[in-house]
Amino acid sequence: MKAPVFDYHRASSVQDALAALADGRGDAKAMAGGCSLGPMLNLRLARPARVVDLRHVPELRRVEETEDRLVIGALWTHAEIEDGALPDITNGFLPSVAHGIAYRAVRNRGTIGGSVAHADPAADWITTLLTLDARLLIHAPDGERQASIDTFMLGGYSTELGDDELLSGFILPKLSGRGRWAYHKICRKTGEFAKAIGAVLHDPDRGLVRVVCGAIERTPILLEETSAALGRSSPEAAADLAPVLKGVLKDEIDRRLADHDAVFRQMHHTAVSRALAELGSK
Amino acid sequence: MNRVSVTIAVNGQPFTASIEPRQHLADFLRETVGLTGTHLGCEQGVCGACTVEIDGRPQRSCIAFAAACDGSSVRTVEGFDDDPTMQELREAFSTHHGLQCGFCTPGMLITSRDIVRRCGETDERTIREELSGNLCRCTGYMGIVAAVGSVCRGKAPQVKAPPAATPVRAAAVHLPEPAMAATAPRSAARPSAAPAPAAAAFGASAATTAGDGAGWTAIDQSITVAATPDAVWEALGDVRRVASCLPGAEVETLEGEALTGRMSVRFGPIKARFAGEGTVRRDEPARTGRVTGAGRDSGSGSQAAGEVVYRVAAAERPDSTTVAVTIRYRLTGTLAQFSRGALVQDFVRRMAETFAANLSASLAPGADGIPPQAVKPAEMNVLAMLVSVVAGRIRRLFAGR
Amino acid sequence: MSHTGIGARVRRKEDARHLIGRGRFVGDIRMPGLRDVAFLRSTYAHARIVAITRPAGSEGSVYTVDDLAGLSPIVTRSTIPGYKESTHWPLASGKVRFVGEPVVMAVAASRAEAEDLCDAVQVEFDPLPVIASSEAGRAPDAPRVHEEWPDNLFLESGFDSGVDEVARTAPVKVTREYRTARQCMHPMEGKGVLAYWDYQASQLVVVTSTQVPHMIRTGLAECLGLDQSRIRVAPPDVGGGFGYKCVLQPEEVLIAWLALTRKTPFRWVEDRREHLTAGANTRQHQYRVTAYADERGRLLGLDAEVMVDTGAYSVWPFTACLEPSQIAGNLPGPYDFQAYRCKTYTVATNKPAFTPYRGVARTGVCFAMELTIDAIARAVGREPVDVRAENLVTAGQMPFTNVTRKHFDSGDYPASLQRAREMIGMEAVRARQGSGEPDGRHIGLGFATYTEQSAHGTTVFSSWGLSVIPGYDQASVKITPDGGVEVRAGIHTIGQGLETTLAQVASEILTIPIERITVTLGDTATTPYSTGAYASRGIVMSGGATSKAAQTVAGQVRRIAAHLMKCAPEEVELRDGRIFAGNRSIAFADVGFAWYMRPDLLPTDVDSRGLEATEAYKPAVDSGVFSYATHAAVVAVDPETGMVEILDYVIVEDCGRRVNPMIVEGQAYGGTAQGIGTALFEESPYDDLGQPLASTLLDYLLPGPTELPSIRMDHFETLSPYSAHGVKGVGEGGAIAPPAAIVNAINDALAPLGAELTEVPATPERILAAILAARGRRSAGQENAA
Repeated sequence: MKAPVFDYHRASSVQDALAALADGRGDAKAMAGGCSLGPMLNLRLARPARVVDLRHVPELRRVEETEDRLVIGALWTHAEIEDGALPDITNGFLPSVAHGIAYRAVRNRGTIGGSVAHADPAADWITTLLTLDARLLIHAPDGERQASIDTFMLGGYSTELGDDELLSGFILPKLSGRGRWAYHKICRKTGEFAKAIGAVLHDPDRGLVRVVCGAIERTPILLEETSAALGRSSPEAAADLAPVLKGVLKDEIDRRLADHDAVFRQMHHTAVSRALAELGSK
Repeated sequence: MNRVSVTIAVNGQPFTASIEPRQHLADFLRETVGLTGTHLGCEQGVCGACTVEIDGRPQRSCIAFAAACDGSSVRTVEGFDDDPTMQELREAFSTHHGLQCGFCTPGMLITSRDIVRRCGETDERTIREELSGNLCRCTGYMGIVAAVGSVCRGKAPQVKAPPAATPVRAAAVHLPEPAMAATAPRSAARPSAAPAPAAAAFGASAATTAGDGAGWTAIDQSITVAATPDAVWEALGDVRRVASCLPGAEVETLEGEALTGRMSVRFGPIKARFAGEGTVRRDEPARTGRVTGAGRDSGSGSQAAGEVVYRVAAAERPDSTTVAVTIRYRLTGTLAQFSRGALVQDFVRRMAETFAANLSASLAPGADGIPPQAVKPAEMNVLAMLVSVVAGRIRRLFAGR
Repeated sequence: MSHTGIGARVRRKEDARHLIGRGRFVGDIRMPGLRDVAFLRSTYAHARIVAITRPAGSEGSVYTVDDLAGLSPIVTRSTIPGYKESTHWPLASGKVRFVGEPVVMAVAASRAEAEDLCDAVQVEFDPLPVIASSEAGRAPDAPRVHEEWPDNLFLESGFDSGVDEVARTAPVKVTREYRTARQCMHPMEGKGVLAYWDYQASQLVVVTSTQVPHMIRTGLAECLGLDQSRIRVAPPDVGGGFGYKCVLQPEEVLIAWLALTRKTPFRWVEDRREHLTAGANTRQHQYRVTAYADERGRLLGLDAEVMVDTGAYSVWPFTACLEPSQIAGNLPGPYDFQAYRCKTYTVATNKPAFTPYRGVARTGVCFAMELTIDAIARAVGREPVDVRAENLVTAGQMPFTNVTRKHFDSGDYPASLQRAREMIGMEAVRARQGSGEPDGRHIGLGFATYTEQSAHGTTVFSSWGLSVIPGYDQASVKITPDGGVEVRAGIHTIGQGLETTLAQVASEILTIPIERITVTLGDTATTPYSTGAYASRGIVMSGGATSKAAQTVAGQVRRIAAHLMKCAPEEVELRDGRIFAGNRSIAFADVGFAWYMRPDLLPTDVDSRGLEATEAYKPAVDSGVFSYATHAAVVAVDPETGMVEILDYVIVEDCGRRVNPMIVEGQAYGGTAQGIGTALFEESPYDDLGQPLASTLLDYLLPGPTELPSIRMDHFETLSPYSAHGVKGVGEGGAIAPPAAIVNAINDALAPLGAELTEVPATPERILAAILAARGRRSAGQENAA
């Protein structure tokens, strides 16, 4: 289980990284912490001709702030986010999710950008960023652009990122003081990929009332009807899952996950309803 | 052979070597530096036996490449002989029977020391959670948890989290507004076409999957096209045209019923390129066609085999046609040796939808036979489906890390 | 001076080197000129090899079976009538029979380059129909795993004392089908072997991660056609065994052949993917069990049919027969009943060769029997623990010979159950169940009682037809000139702490503290013969031999000391690390000094063997000494997710005299952790094409610290009448009971929902599916009622 031969390029800047990727003509692969790519290389499942190391690109660790948003570079590690290295604009949401990712030794190297670019549906950041209605910053040879998370991810391990593009950062909304969140993950093992994730954000001051179902082996889904139902009631009503909310959620899960079996739907229904209940009791 | 020169401070001593970029840090330490205390238990980033400190933080040396650690400082289990916390842990591991075979022990000690320093005195639940990235197969963790607990007892956390980064005020930076910045993704220009939405010209596609007990998985797909059955049957006779509806496929030869071709597919960082051969058979009276094929990806040594059966029939709407397609595939080899069923199904569903949408568009009256998203003429739809499944079976690998 | 002999909770001698990262495992060894080896393994479960194309310039670096001049295949013989031998070429010959079977061997300067070479080799396969399950293997028109066989059965065997009468008359009849998943054993260090030619000794030296070095030498000699004196097997530190390393490995044969042929060093270390795919080789049983009982649940008879998914080959030396023999012999468990029939089918399939794993067969057997006991209890409406207690063999019946002629030597089985019941607080659990859980989970309680036949010897193994039968194990003890001790034994330390416990046994006899006792294990060049570390036999067999040799040496010491102190040997006493005659004492060093340096001080009739002895040992009755235990578990099952949390776990065990209580506990904890893995997590699934679907540790879940409970344990200490010091083996026991105890607890929790599980691992999906199915049955029942 040793990696196949590849060239290594340590990028010094975003422009340098983009040039190295373009030069690879589709056979170059960007690597951040390497916590996803490393094992795939060792298993020889991935066989890029060139690996472009992003860990030393200063722009990818930027932190910028506007009145209502925070922009972060893609290279912050899970552990840094867990430890509060970024300004807490999500009332503890991001650090809490970060703490639940894999294990400390992985969190010390793995990055939020690497995780999102890899786009495993069971990973935490994809679902979290969808819940926050975050936007993605992408650097292409012809400039910087933005994407929204639900169109960025096409499916498992599949994104709209081109061979010559870089996921460079995220635009996160600042939650209001009254903004609440809840995140319920069902895992068989500590640090294991989730079997189901329910995530809820309730911040009417910012116009963000969002209920998301994740770890569904494809792009996580925003439960629009459940979100609307939650928006019409109070978060306290979610605590005991008011019957109206419960019915809407059940219908929506059954419909959106119709091509999965009953066990799968049950698991996800439970994750979301527990996240709602936790939101209500916060 | 391509090599890079790296200088890594190992246990305080700078070590310079010319290495292959593919060498991971654990092999660098074990084979190049000659420190064998760092063990390799899985090389998949899971078991934790290879945990070392890189720049002061415990990390997996099996998935960190040595080239990426150039300029870093690394501390292995051999580098703690003057560390009082490590001395306490060693005593405690022995007293509490925290090791049996000793293979996981070096990584376990590195993690344990980090726990003592970050957490200080804490409860058993926290210790167990913090240890969960290190697997031990001998002890049931009883002695390890007790040992770490005994060393943590009475200690305050010794490591403080760094202060939060001070953000730059955005007034000074360009920050595109979300509302105006929804630049279209450049998917049309991308070689591997994104799957199109499911909705075909008209009429919905439906996909179902089922296993049959002989290693085959079948996917049923149905499209409705605004053309007569005669015209559709005729059009489907053009194998190249049908196959072109799947991106990544190339036909090399087509002679009578025999064809050869290639199919490239990618799934995240995984790329497979299957070369193979197949046959095309058409049953005119039954309006049924069958394409069979098999191919091999030489990179992974994986093989795929499959068949597509299509049946053309008049739809309810006048002058329109239903094409019922059954795709069966099976897979062997490295790429098959994962299991994450729903992920597979979703990948296949998306491929099937792309195929259906492209076929539908290709067969629509007035179409020139070239599906809108296909970049180049494609062939071997069987293989294409197979390959998508191949990649789809790469299960739960290592995202989110 | 502190006592470091038998019974002392001393720290292990093994620990120090591992704690500073100076353990020495196969992968840690480098030698000048060392070449690394990688294998190209079959991607097909069953296929003909049509052609193998090597890359240009790979001469001398790439080997197929045709290149293995002088090598014989592994053929495992048995005297059991009807057993079919398999011919196992270490590199596939003609066809491949499982995914992961080595086809090509490549050597290079590094493992990575050897893998590059494997990538460059093209193998053309012609796929054959696959036998991916026991059922498929037994189908009338099934293709053959071994074409020369008339069917796919290694063996069809069983036991029958007659059940027809009981079947006619028993008032209670319970039938269940059970399945245990295929597993990998996962020592944290996989297999590994390094071999080189030692010109000085004119020997092939094989440094291999094995539990059974002396047996490996015999096996290698057979395959290589070499005198055993020309082979030295020298095992280094072994990173866990669990059974995985108790058989001759094809890779050991190949690396040894390379070193013998090329006379330079070669090394191969198994990686985790190889382990997960080519090493998924154990535990997979299927049972159909019918139990007959009276209205109180007293067992009257048992009728079982069992299939073992054995894989493609018969492992050397334990054969494909070991598992079914253990199943048929052990299924009756610790219970007293006379009507018993068990039919076993040992089915050849296109999977890796079945290998005995910690608890050998008894994990599955205990699962089947203990779930059946609970099913009987539910059928008669009684507490499972009461039904269990009434069926157990009692202390008053000991020694007891059961229906399958198992000879239980000693112990109080019902007392272990009673103690577990007290410790787990059964009444409190029942009360808690009555009041329900605030979080909606369901609480359940489960028990399992088992026996662990340890150190079973000659009579037992010969009844299993093996060609290598363990008899006397040997050990040497020697006093050094300065009064220290050297112990040598052919068994090996693989994490179970024999370096320490054998030193403790020697210390017990000689009273010299273990700090002054050096233990050398496993190396065939320096240790006397042992068949090795398996079957929970180490402390009984090698411990017994060490004890006996130490006693002989003690006699030698006494005679010289008596001469030095001018008294009779009977007046000499060894105590506290010194040699006493009345009030006078001398040091062991004085005796050592006399023997080695001052022969003029010795008596004229001194024992000319000096201060050392090699003794051979087996217990007076060699059918095995029976450890036993009861495990009790309280679980919480989340009916909305199927997740199981172990709230409490209790073990009450009896392994006779405990040489080192700390090590006994460690063995029980570790075994139980693996058993919990079997119960809840571990599974190597295969698809219908025989493709293994778990090739990473993200597919195959090993329990971690948060998945395992903080185990509570109590001990009985019933000395065996047959073994030295009354010891019994303890290595395997922990792994036997957890699936039974935990699934009994899960079923207890699910009972109000009408759901029952009969398969491990008890995954959330399986539990949810059972709950949803029960819900479906109930609503259908209500509709019918309406």
